[in-house]
Amino acid sequence: MQFQLTDEQRALQDAVRSYLRDKFGPTQVRELYENPDSEGLPAPLWKALGEQGWLAVLVPEEHDGIGLGLLDASVLARAFGAGAVPGPWLGTVLVTEALRVAGSKEQQAARLPALAAGEVKGAAALLKQGSSPSPAGAPATSSGGALSGRLDLVDYPEVADVLLVAAQDGLYLVDPRGAGVSITAQQSLDRGARVGTVTLDGAPGEKLEGSSPQVLQQLLDAAAVLVANDLVGLARKALTDTVEYDKTRVQFGKPVGSFQAVKHELADLHVAVTFAEHAATYAAFAADVDAPDRQLAASIAKSKAADAADLATAAMIQFHGGIGYTWEHDTHFYFKRCKRLQGAYGDAAQHRERIAGLLIDGAPAADEISGVTAGGSADMQGSGVAAGAAAS
Amino acid sequence: MDLRFSEQDEDFRKELRSWLDTNLPAEMREAQFWSSKSSDESFQVRREWEQKKAAAGFAGIQWPTEYGGRGGSPTMKAIYDEEMAKASAPSTVNPLGLAFLAPTVIAIGTDEQKRDIIKPLLHCETIWCQGFSEPGAGSDLAALSMRAEPQGEEYVLNGQKIWTTNAMHGDKIFTMARTSSPEGGKRHAGISMLLVDMHQPGVEARPLKQMTGESEFGEVFFTDATCLQTDILGGEGNGWATAMLLLSFERGSSAIAQYTEFRKMWDEVVSVASQVDRDGKPASQDPVLRQELAAALVDLECLKYHSWHVLTQTSNGKDLGFEASMTKMMWSETFRRVSDAYEKVVGSGFQVTDPRPGLSVGKLTNMAMWSRSCTIWGGSQQVQRTVVAERVLGLPR
Repeated sequence: MQFQLTDEQRALQDAVRSYLRDKFGPTQVRELYENPDSEGLPAPLWKALGEQGWLAVLVPEEHDGIGLGLLDASVLARAFGAGAVPGPWLGTVLVTEALRVAGSKEQQAARLPALAAGEVKGAAALLKQGSSPSPAGAPATSSGGALSGRLDLVDYPEVADVLLVAAQDGLYLVDPRGAGVSITAQQSLDRGARVGTVTLDGAPGEKLEGSSPQVLQQLLDAAAVLVANDLVGLARKALTDTVEYDKTRVQFGKPVGSFQAVKHELADLHVAVTFAEHAATYAAFAADVDAPDRQLAASIAKSKAADAADLATAAMIQFHGGIGYTWEHDTHFYFKRCKRLQGAYGDAAQHRERIAGLLIDGAPAADEISGVTAGGSADMQGSGVAAGAAAS
Repeated sequence: MDLRFSEQDEDFRKELRSWLDTNLPAEMREAQFWSSKSSDESFQVRREWEQKKAAAGFAGIQWPTEYGGRGGSPTMKAIYDEEMAKASAPSTVNPLGLAFLAPTVIAIGTDEQKRDIIKPLLHCETIWCQGFSEPGAGSDLAALSMRAEPQGEEYVLNGQKIWTTNAMHGDKIFTMARTSSPEGGKRHAGISMLLVDMHQPGVEARPLKQMTGESEFGEVFFTDATCLQTDILGGEGNGWATAMLLLSFERGSSAIAQYTEFRKMWDEVVSVASQVDRDGKPASQDPVLRQELAAALVDLECLKYHSWHVLTQTSNGKDLGFEASMTKMMWSETFRRVSDAYEKVVGSGFQVTDPRPGLSVGKLTNMAMWSRSCTIWGGSQQVQRTVVAERVLGLPR
């Protein structure tokens, strides 16, 4: 029983954190905020992602990838969340994952090496805006290989070289600069990212031959898990920065972090963020080992991470006081990134409804559960809880 | 990352399961069995069962073999906790002795104390109470006022303890008393931990009725009660340090037993939700209740992951330190969350034991009430939050 990262995963974590500390920090994020009309992707950052193999993480070795799993990718996502890192990393990784699970040998060979190297950037449109995370939420319709539909809130559509689109009958790759595709940029509240609406009007699509509703669900879950890891990364960063600030900010002659009203809320947040970290870790691992509860774990991770990040980024503003509400401070980077991501691939409530569907609707009939209807007990000694909880 | 247990650990699980299959009577796994018994009767049944279990070697899982324990690992203890909860085995009658006193005696007791205390405790021949809280000293333990005056070879004890688990069944009590006045305003000085026989004229236990109507805890009055001067654990005046050591033994707890128990409760609540009506449909189809139930399930599963985290740390020889306060916060709040979901599922039916004919939910209602106590005893949620903020996050005092 070792519920923790392996030494190799820790080394990966150190490498990505070290890169961000030295080369890409809040100053670089701020540049994106101040230049909202830029393409939103610092070239040195993207180059590094390609060189370090961080785009190749899920690509099999035979296609010039490093063939690791979702937990390894999650280590990266978590660090990128903590660093408010911009760019189409997620979109590109999702395209590689779609190719890995649903592409033919030829499709994989033709496309994966360039994606792994960062020469080709990806974007993904797997769900209609507002849809629950299921294949029923596919945003496009296909007719004889031609795709139509309005794809909202697509990350980085303008820099993407390939667009992964879910239609009612499977997954397609679309050339975003090809016929029948129009892109309208939208200003995201999170100026550290670029989003847009992609309209498909009979755009030619290349179908991934192994597409199926199961594969699409698996991809939606992988996306949710990666976003969950991004969210717990930024939640932890928001909490840590707030704790550090409140250790030194003095009011009423004392550090504000010495006041119980502040302490107790931060302690509760630490518990919530720790739970979310565990959940995001387990969900990635469950996918890697194809655990029976992998779908449940993905929804647990996404809902818990969204809630914890929501609380932590709001608290970051509140417990920095006035400075926390300024443009000059970094607080809003995390708050706005959280807003962008907390609803991506299903929001917390949608994932909870999915959990209800999995466990309540699929639950055994009442009379199959022993003990419930057995006597109107005013005694709980036999429950094992009464004193056992104290003694465990 | 590897969530499998070793072959040796799985062998232990099989052995325990097989023993439970043969030796845990089916009736004891049912709520009805216990509801038909008085508190005294059920205590006696649990005690006898626990003695049988200890005799079979399924007790003191992590204790050294020289003290009658099994010499097992933290993982084996977690497996034991999980299997006992899964089997709906009766809870221990000696929780405070097993979890707290025994490991402390093993660590710092005298040879005589080790000989006299450990084995009778493990075999439930002696039931131990913990005498910490007083009417004026709950969360603020150092405010205690019970006194122990040296007199000849004895101490003479006067004072009152309260909210004492198993007060009416206790044979002995490990209790905190002032053996001298606090020096120079050091409130933690001058306190000693004494081991006192409860079967003596100077000790009187009175039951306290809990909000469930049961009397699982009580008050203990000391009026010129005595113990020998050798019945001191950790040395005179060292009571505070002894108590801190004693409480630290809870830190290794993985909360897997609590997870297992509360997950069973959640499954039962879901079953109830499918049977009670809300606007002409089962409550389990109500979208708001589904959110409540799913949110509770999310925290439950996170509690399970956390228990794996704790087990990983303890198996690797790491002391969790004050992070243990988080574990307590997590399981007690998760328990509350499941209980809150249950209360909402039954709605106004919460006030009766059969909200629908044929559906008896007394056990769930009792658990929901019991969950109110778990965020108080053993360090209230407010105390735990302060500990986490100061000792884990490093916020200033």
